[in-house]
Amino acid sequence: MENLLLFIETKDKELKKASLELLGEAARLRAAGTYKVHGVIMGGVPEDVKKKVLPYVDVLANITGPALDRYTPEGFASALAGYAKEIAPKLILASATQTGRDFLPRVAVLLGSGIASDVTGIRWSEDPVKFVRPIYGGKVLSEVSFTGYPAVVTVRPNTFAGEEPGAEEGEYLERQAGIDPGQLRTKVLRREESGQGKVDLIEADIIVSGGRGLKSAENFKVLEDLAGTIGAAVGAARSVVDAKWRDQEDQVGKSGKTVSPKLYVAVGISGAIHHTMGMDTSKVVLAVNTDPNAMIFSYADYGIVGDFAQVVPAMTEEFRKRLGR
Amino acid sequence: MDFALTEEQEFFKKMIAETVDKMIVPRAAEIDEKDEFPHELWHQFASLGYLGIRYPESVGGMNADKTMCLTFYEEVARGSTGFSTIVNQNCLMGTHFVYKFGNEAIRERCFGPAIRGEKVATICFTEDQSGSDLGATRTRAVKDGDGWRINGTKQWITNGPICDFCTVLATTDPSKGLKGLSFFLVEKGTPGFSGGQTLDKLGARGTATGEVVLDNVWVPDENFLGTEPGQGLVEVGEILGEVRLMVGASALGLARAAYTEALEFSRKRIAFGKPIGSFQLIREKFANMDMEMNAARLMLYYGAWLLEKGMDVTTAAAEAKVYATEVCLKVVDELTRIYGANAFAHEYAPQRYFRDARLFLYGGGTHEVLRDFIGRKLIGRL
Amino acid sequence: MNIVVLAKQVPDAEAHIDIGEDGKGLTVEQKFTANVFDEFAMEEALRLKEKHGGKVKIITLGTGKATEVLRTGIAMGADEALLLEDGAFLNGDGYATALALSRAAAKEPFDVILCGRQAIDDDRGEVGPMVAQFLGIPHGGGIIKLDIADGTATVECPAEGGKEVLEVKLPALFTAQKGLNEPRVPPIMGVMKAMKAAIPRVAPAELGISPEEAGAAGSKVRTEKYFHPKKKAAVQMIQGEPQEAAVEAVRILMDVERIL
Repeated sequence: MENLLLFIETKDKELKKASLELLGEAARLRAAGTYKVHGVIMGGVPEDVKKKVLPYVDVLANITGPALDRYTPEGFASALAGYAKEIAPKLILASATQTGRDFLPRVAVLLGSGIASDVTGIRWSEDPVKFVRPIYGGKVLSEVSFTGYPAVVTVRPNTFAGEEPGAEEGEYLERQAGIDPGQLRTKVLRREESGQGKVDLIEADIIVSGGRGLKSAENFKVLEDLAGTIGAAVGAARSVVDAKWRDQEDQVGKSGKTVSPKLYVAVGISGAIHHTMGMDTSKVVLAVNTDPNAMIFSYADYGIVGDFAQVVPAMTEEFRKRLGR
Repeated sequence: MDFALTEEQEFFKKMIAETVDKMIVPRAAEIDEKDEFPHELWHQFASLGYLGIRYPESVGGMNADKTMCLTFYEEVARGSTGFSTIVNQNCLMGTHFVYKFGNEAIRERCFGPAIRGEKVATICFTEDQSGSDLGATRTRAVKDGDGWRINGTKQWITNGPICDFCTVLATTDPSKGLKGLSFFLVEKGTPGFSGGQTLDKLGARGTATGEVVLDNVWVPDENFLGTEPGQGLVEVGEILGEVRLMVGASALGLARAAYTEALEFSRKRIAFGKPIGSFQLIREKFANMDMEMNAARLMLYYGAWLLEKGMDVTTAAAEAKVYATEVCLKVVDELTRIYGANAFAHEYAPQRYFRDARLFLYGGGTHEVLRDFIGRKLIGRL
Repeated sequence: MNIVVLAKQVPDAEAHIDIGEDGKGLTVEQKFTANVFDEFAMEEALRLKEKHGGKVKIITLGTGKATEVLRTGIAMGADEALLLEDGAFLNGDGYATALALSRAAAKEPFDVILCGRQAIDDDRGEVGPMVAQFLGIPHGGGIIKLDIADGTATVECPAEGGKEVLEVKLPALFTAQKGLNEPRVPPIMGVMKAMKAAIPRVAPAELGISPEEAGAAGSKVRTEKYFHPKKKAAVQMIQGEPQEAAVEAVRILMDVERIL
């Protein structure tokens, strides 16, 4: 049986949803008896996270050390590659979060292995295993395979359904990183939060996004109310980011983020290609726009032609009623 | 015959195209709406140094070859036809005479600042009663001491009401008709010189176009821009070919803007369950537009080649200007058909292209006069 | 300061793409442009040079057409350029491409390497971090601010709902993203200079790269086929007054699509 190595991420002492999705997929393979699953968490692991993860894996390795207290590409890459050398996995999987995409390529070089980034599908039963990844902004999908193993893969959040774990808990072990923090050439000076534990758009389940059609920065409050009610992240089209109504990190599209949520609500967004290439793999798209000919409707599953100022608050109200909030 | 652009020319084309896309295209709609001289854009664009493109490096220009010059005119017009009219004045018509015939002081005072974008230049031909019929020019220049006294009113002058200096076509002897014409430099601030009424134009909006009034304006001898009085027509004849190619290139640039819009729309707009580009009658339009634009392009760049070689470009330039303009008019028309009803709304670009295209019927000569001129040349004196 | 910029010439974002009959080849409309994220890298490199002195060298791997991205850099103000043009370099995965670029960058001592966060054709985002690892230097991904003093860089990166400020010892590599700067428009003088510039080329052997390590041969990832994403069914427009449509939308999302 081959080994599968998962890089598991936590944020604010909680297991990231994106990692849970990976664990679910791994548990499925584990149950089928095709892979032995190792999970790695860097830095300290809260007890409840440990308890949550153990049913999914055969081994949970917690790698610690002063060099791993904060994320640095060098530190994490060195630690993960070190553990990989120890267990010789066939595949090393991580979620294509900002962190994952940032340091897994370094791991690939350390192991002399190939890497497939931001994968949106895995055909496990084929030989060699096939990985699907979007290119040209998602206009084309490519199916790739590796010429050898180990190989590194980062998986786009919301790709896996998130299966239930098996009953059998894996073993827990601890490892010291063995990296001299003095050797690290990156130091995190400080972290500034933008506010209220924002979820990265890449990892969000639901995104409510606004464009020029909102007419003013203040009107985004309408979207924020909806987002707050249904637990969504708020995204933005390039035009409103350029107009400084919203932050760059909220931008969805070609020079912003590519997202793949379960639900994408596009409000007052025309649907120009530099935007749609950042969200057209969303499972369900609802578009609200006053222009019935807006391009966005070609990328949507459902559409409402109407004034957002009337439609969106009405939706928020209805969601509140239905969800009892 | 080498039809290819050199690697250098390709790169130049790419750079100016990207510059236009970044700087001019995003502001084109606003320039058209406001119909005011776009000071901020003008300064930004001028600081890149392109205005001196056709002049030698020794006077602060770039000494680009004629193919690059046409490429430049084409791309700027593609971005904004209105803005291109301002640029073109400073690049050629408004500066040629001060460059060629102005003395050191005039060059420093007018030419240098014009190609740096610090001063706005223009040329004044048209009057109420004289458009194509230059011989009917009534603006009169009379020798007065060690200078000239000029009286007259010019119409339809691009930048006229706001220019810093202009090259004025005047007659020194009305009885000589076309052989009595000369050019004079008149600068802002000269007593009697004023900008008059501004016209509310159909298209190519983005600057003040209108009257220039010369009321007993006196200019010193050095402001006479020419070899000797009465040679004006011959002197302007030197650049007429390039002016016409410039107009033709601008028309082609606008045609390309319209064509690209039509192409994108045809690929995306769904009707009857398919993109409209799947339908034969739409495809036919593209075939026709491409054929005609290619023909226009070949004629224009052949003209550039003739210019570059110092060969006679009179007929070729006139033909290229007429043809490219007619093609442009067709392409903008097709765009409004392909685009559907939205072409009828101010909100979208097609209506602006449609309006802008009419400009080229006038710049560089009307098609009726040019066709008569070309025909006469071909058949010869009978 | 010696600054290296790694750039890529990519197809225009709106270029039409055709997939071959058997899913094997891709025909891309021949409209190219400098990768947008690399423009931020180029601009930042020029700002560093203006502030600290030194030179900017721009390197790309590609076909002959890729000289355009190098010339663009020169037009903006880069001092030197280098093209990895050999056919052997082509069609490499992130690993092979990063290996080649890292060798090219290391031909001379450098202080900073700047490149875009990812290329908009392959969308991999691998080359930057991999080049850093090959060269054994630290990297900062997706920076939006860069300051250098006394051999140390202070950078800001957006980080999952916040922003991190990092101190990175040089030499280091940084990948640029939108928000870092506003790339300058090349003046005509730069354009004319770039037009005339001779672009040096380098072959794999000169970089110590064997045929087995270069391009497709040196790749560890192989593309099996291409295909188009499934087209969505035509949009279902929800009719009615805003109030009604909103209620219906919620019903569809909750009961039909089961989103919440």
